[in-house]
Formats: sequence, C-alpha cells, structure tokens
Amino acid sequence: MERELIESLLFTVLKVLVVVPVALGVGAYLTWFERKLAGHIQNRMGPTVVGPFGLLQPLADALKLATKESVIPRGADRPVYYLAILLALVPSVLLLALIPWGPAFELGGRVIKPIISDVNVALLLAFAFGSLSVYGTIFSGWASNSKYAFIGSMRKAAVVIAYEVVLGFSVLGVVLLAGTLSTVGIVQAQIERGVWFILYQPVAFVLYMFCMLAESGRVPFDVQEAEAELVTGYNVEYGGMKFGAFPLAEWYLNVIALSAIAVVLFFGGWSGPSILGPLSPYFWFLVKTFGLVFFTMWLHWTLPRFQAKDITDVAWKILLPVAIANVVVTAVVKYFF
Amino acid sequence: MRVKKVFRKDYLTLLESVLFLDFLKGLSVTLKNLLRKPITTQYPKEKLTPPKRFRGAHGHFVWDGTEPPSLKAIEKFMSYEKAKSRCVACYMCQTACPMPTLFRIEAVQTPDGKKKVTRFEMNLLNCLFCGLCVDACPVGCLTMTDIYELASYSRRDEVFSVEQLEERGKDYKARRGDEPERIWPNDEERKRLWGEIKWSG
Repeated sequence: MERELIESLLFTVLKVLVVVPVALGVGAYLTWFERKLAGHIQNRMGPTVVGPFGLLQPLADALKLATKESVIPRGADRPVYYLAILLALVPSVLLLALIPWGPAFELGGRVIKPIISDVNVALLLAFAFGSLSVYGTIFSGWASNSKYAFIGSMRKAAVVIAYEVVLGFSVLGVVLLAGTLSTVGIVQAQIERGVWFILYQPVAFVLYMFCMLAESGRVPFDVQEAEAELVTGYNVEYGGMKFGAFPLAEWYLNVIALSAIAVVLFFGGWSGPSILGPLSPYFWFLVKTFGLVFFTMWLHWTLPRFQAKDITDVAWKILLPVAIANVVVTAVVKYFF
Repeated sequence: MRVKKVFRKDYLTLLESVLFLDFLKGLSVTLKNLLRKPITTQYPKEKLTPPKRFRGAHGHFVWDGTEPPSLKAIEKFMSYEKAKSRCVACYMCQTACPMPTLFRIEAVQTPDGKKKVTRFEMNLLNCLFCGLCVDACPVGCLTMTDIYELASYSRRDEVFSVEQLEERGKDYKARRGDEPERIWPNDEERKRLWGEIKWSG
C-alpha cells in the first residue's frame, strides 16, 4: 500500500517535471512566434537578428528582463504586490495538470496515463483555476497603487466574471453528451462515438472561443491591457522579469491550456489517424492545440478592440442566453432521442 | 483620379452576424498579407539607391572637360586647375541659403590679376538640405549627391572642406552622371501620373 503511494507520487513528480518546463519553454517561444506572425501579417519581418530567424530572441528577452532594475512604486502593498505574480502564474500552470496529452499505455507491467492528475471533476477544476487567475490581476492592480493598473484590473475582473458564467454554460452541452466531467472521459466518449463534439455542438464551440479570448485577455477582449488607454494595464507598475511573468501567464500559458481544453472538449483530444505509430496521439493533440493557439494569435492581429462596456454587454445579453438555449436544446434532444 | 465609393451598412444581416462573415473577411485579409513577401529593407545589410535628384550631401563638380562651352570665358578671370572645383567664389550659394553662416567662402587676387578661391567650407550641421544653393550656382559647380549616411563622431567632421566636396562630386558624377535627371523610373510612369504633355515637342 505504502509502496504504491510512493510510486504514484514519484510518477506524478516526474510528469510535472516534464510538462511544466516544456510548457514554460513553449510559452516563451510563443512570444517569438507571435512576433514573427505579427510582423508578417503587417508585411514586416519580425525578429531576425538574434540567431537564425531570430530564434534566440526569447533568450535575449529573458536576459534583458532579468537584468532590469526592479522599481516598486511608493505606497505599494509589498506582500500583495509579490503575491499577485504567483497568483497570476500558478493557476495557468495548474491548468496544465488536467490536460490528457495521450491515451494510457503500459510500461513494465504498469499502466501510465500521460495526464498529471486524472480527476473525475477535471472540468470544474479547470474553470475554478480560470476564475482564480483573476485574483492575480486584481491584486496586481490593487497593490500597485496606480490608477491605470487599477482600472485595468477592474475591467479584467468584470470581463472574467461575465465570461466565466458563459464558459460554464457553453461546455455543459458537451458534458451532457459525454456524461462525464473528466477530460479523459470526454475524449474517450468522442473516440467511442467516432465523431468530434464540434459537429454536435458548433454553437458551444463558438461561445467557448469567445470565452477563451476573454479569459486570456486576447483581442478583441483585451480591454485590461488597452495600450492606448491604460499604457499596459494592470502590470504597468511591475519591472523586469516580474513584468514578463504576467503576459507569459495570461497570453501564452493560459492560451495553451485553454486551447488544449478546447481540443479535449470539441476536437476529440488525441484521436486521429495513426501515422507516427505510438507517438501519433501526442502528435495529433499537439497539432490541434497549436492550431487553436495559431487561430487565437491570428485573430489577435486581425481584429480591433471592443469597448469595455460592450464586452460585458455582449456577454450578458447575447452570449449567456444563447448558451442557456444551447444547453436546454441539447438536454431535450439527449433526453428524447 | 477615380475614387472608389464604399457602401457600408449600419447593421449586419442575420446571416452575416450568425456566420461571422465580417470576421472571416478580416481574417482572409490578414492571411493574404501573411503569405505575401515582407516589404522591409533590412537597412544596414541592404540599402536602397535614392533617385538621381535626391537631396543628399553636397559635392563640387570639377573642371574635367565636360563643362558647357560658355564657362570657358571664365578662364580669363579665374585661376583654376584641372580636376579642381569649378567654384568662382561668387557667394550666390551663401546669398540663397536660409542659414548663410553655413558657408565659409574666401578668395584672393593673384599677382596676375586673376581670382583664386582659397577656401570653401560647408557646415552641414546647419544645413536643412533645401537645395537652394544648388539652384543658385551660376557655374554648375555645387550639386547635391545621393549620399545620405552623414553621421560622424565629432562636430568638426561635419564641416566639409573643398577637397572633400570635390571628391564627392567626382564620385557622384562617375556613378550617376549618365542617368537622366527625372524623378520617374521611366516615361510610362510619368505619363500615368501627369498625362501626355501636348505643348512640348
């Protein structure tokens, strides 16, 4: 009994040690990718100088941020000021624990699941972590003792409160179809039926994409950043790597995690033709996730920004009724057919 | 020129708002741009050649046999040498200049009664590159070249002596002297912009 516990703990730690550094590295390299993408969309080149195709740019950025002087504004609430960084980063990283990267396989007579924690309420946890990340925003705005940061954090709080509700209702349709809240279970349900849930729930997918953009503070819902109005929003009073942590968590890790959850919910997770042998489930999962991340960035560099009042307006008056109607219709159809 | 009129509705139709057609249109525009080649000139690595009439750093054309015959009369009054500046120290450039202290021109009379230019310096720190001095020059000496990289480490280096100006004039004439003086790459471009000019032969 004790040996089993220690073994499972060891495996969990190993999985964490693989997933978290890889995710952070990919998050850092997404900055490079986004700059290249933005550049080419605007007929520029993006970073080209540091390394071939500017590939070492994230390292140069990290070095620059790490050596910057860190100025804390007068009147800042220091414990909360530092706590805000953790509260922004930790929920985004925790979201990665709920993502099944591939199917369970056997290694040395032991069944290994490539998911850090396969809990049966994974979706609830995912939305709980999503809601937690708003504390990082609010605390950073509050503790900075700056009106721009405070306005930014208040806007973000309003957006997240509105879109959490829509997000919850939008995935309920998928949960009804799959009959489970576990991420692995939802993927299994799609594989058993041989169809991706986006075909049954296209409205839910559109709503989910809206919510994903709002949660991760991407255009067109980036009112909390709103460079032209608020400098850079709630993280304006942070310097050095502390400043780098917020966009890394919000723009990159959060987008990766929410895209992966969208893949689990709507695109059949790791399902796909077996073209790479045992590695193909991972390949398909990563391809789908990266496709969604790319789509998010593509939207970011295409669309203008909504007004702050319009964002909550859209959420409460249009998206929420649509989401509830979607759930009701799904439930009725599921019950009678 | 024709102006394309764009008709814009105030509200989207139901179909458009349900299927996000306007989103898709915007996305297609950015995708098209994404696949296009960037238009960046990577400056220190690659440089554009300015047009012939570009107003860059100044230069002096020299006596090299290509000057118009009317200038031959000056030989009687001026002491000049081959491959030296055509300047006659008439001070027209200084008079035309909005910032006359930019020029430092001095001339002396030689024992045989001829005029000799002893000094011609331009302080480009004061220059606004308007080109009035070039228009004013009566002997076709002062010119503006296509050189635009004029940064240097000291203010002294921005004051150009007549030797440097001659050097630049020779270099400019060797490189671009044969090009026709026009701001369009060819006659078709000019016609497209200005139309056919009826009265000129």
